[in-house]
Amino acid sequence: MLCQSCKKNEAAVFLKVAVNNKVTEMHLCEACAAGVTAFGGLEAGPMNISGMMGNMSGYFKEFLPHEKRALHCRSCGLTYHEFKESGFLGCPECYADFEHPLTELLTRIHGNCLHAGKRPALCPGRPKCGTSPVPVVFGLAGQKTIYNTEALKEALKKAVENEDFEAAAGLRDRIRNLEGK
Amino acid sequence: MSRVTDSFRPHVAWANADGAWPDIIFSTRVRLARNLAGRAFPQRASAAALRAIRDAALEAARASRLFARGHYLKTAALTPLEKNFLTERHHISHKLASEERAGAVAVNNDENLSLMVNEEDHLRLQSIVSGLATAKAFETVNRLDDELGRSLAYAYSEKFGFLTACPTNVGTGLRVSCLVHLPALSRAGAMPKLLESISHLGMTARGIYGEGTFVLGDFYQISNATCLGRSEAEFCGNLDRTITNMIRLEIGAREKLLAPGLKLKTEDSIFRAYGLLKNARTLSYEEFMQNISLVRMGAAMGYPIRADFSTLNQITLLMQPAHLQARAGRALESGERDSARADYIRENLN
Repeated sequence: MLCQSCKKNEAAVFLKVAVNNKVTEMHLCEACAAGVTAFGGLEAGPMNISGMMGNMSGYFKEFLPHEKRALHCRSCGLTYHEFKESGFLGCPECYADFEHPLTELLTRIHGNCLHAGKRPALCPGRPKCGTSPVPVVFGLAGQKTIYNTEALKEALKKAVENEDFEAAAGLRDRIRNLEGK
Repeated sequence: MSRVTDSFRPHVAWANADGAWPDIIFSTRVRLARNLAGRAFPQRASAAALRAIRDAALEAARASRLFARGHYLKTAALTPLEKNFLTERHHISHKLASEERAGAVAVNNDENLSLMVNEEDHLRLQSIVSGLATAKAFETVNRLDDELGRSLAYAYSEKFGFLTACPTNVGTGLRVSCLVHLPALSRAGAMPKLLESISHLGMTARGIYGEGTFVLGDFYQISNATCLGRSEAEFCGNLDRTITNMIRLEIGAREKLLAPGLKLKTEDSIFRAYGLLKNARTLSYEEFMQNISLVRMGAAMGYPIRADFSTLNQITLLMQPAHLQARAGRALESGERDSARADYIRENLN
């Protein structure tokens, strides 16, 4: 099999990469694989992951509204066209000067265009930023999981005695799994 | 060999496996993206402006009690090995390591809090904790955010929230992620479908070192894909629920591997991997990760593995290429690293 990057040498290395929620498998020659470090160096090597998987600018091109070539940021001079090419804005003021197209873009990316989180410390009237930890609701939370049928049966008995039927149902399923039923 | 690598402790607290679900969740990280008001984003800023931002950020970090007795490093003064060492510890990104611009990183003494300067955004604040603990990780980084935000004026809009170079980070600027070990689901061939389904929940999966990096040893980094339109607590809660469901699925898959029909094969795979690690004379990082994954699952299943999760986690960190070289006190060629890795593992697993 030929290397998927240079398409010249015989593939000698097999790699798995997670990109865009998909595990992609790649066959590379030793030279191309050598340029790919284990530390995210895909862009730095002879093979460019963006080229293979579709890059950020492609992502934006797909979703952006129609060309607005004349539009530019009055502060940093970045044109809207340049933003479309790179996917990066030039300065904080770009958000004000590109407000309308960005509102549409952000709605597409995030499903929403209005901030609902904390405000900076220097902004007056900052609401308290609370957290609401979500409890872990099943099994033997927090500690090492037990894969012992007898221990699980004991826990099931206790759950039934305590009338904790949700926990009991979970434990019953786990015992069935372990017994191969 | 290196003043920088020597100044960090060999073991890191967030790998101590003392958080929730230590058998499945390695660590939880929260990062906040912030920029300074009235300044061009790093990609478009002048060299002089970047130096000024770097110095202001480091000064703010030095003034914070949260960084007392911490590390303050300018990337320009770091060797490639030192940058790799910091990348392996998750204190800097590969992107910051590879940029030539005036970057910096501040790391606190416990190594659970860091501040990256002039990467994609002016500031990237990060906390990292052991196990599944999104609320704890967020609270830790939120304290730093409040403190820095009192001396540095952040770029912020009432409509869009915290303004970032890339619109995918605007709003809360929050990315909350868990490093999840899913060997049983991987072996069951369930990962492609699972990764696709989490994308419908606003989550995304990456390799062990972030975007575009390898899936090594069945470790996946799961994080929120969007960060605008909800509160930080809601984004953290969403990830918590998704990870909790993944834990449930992984436990179910492990139980199936222990059911009568598959148990012998599972045990055989685990002990072959254990035997290989205990006896090999040369081990590449990839081969090590494949086998430590099975050994880790074996330890979780209660098999007699002579190492607890904390030891397995620390070995997993220490066996990375730059860490091996830092430990050896010199640069090692690939073959030398593989041999040093095998030696260390034999000493620590036998």
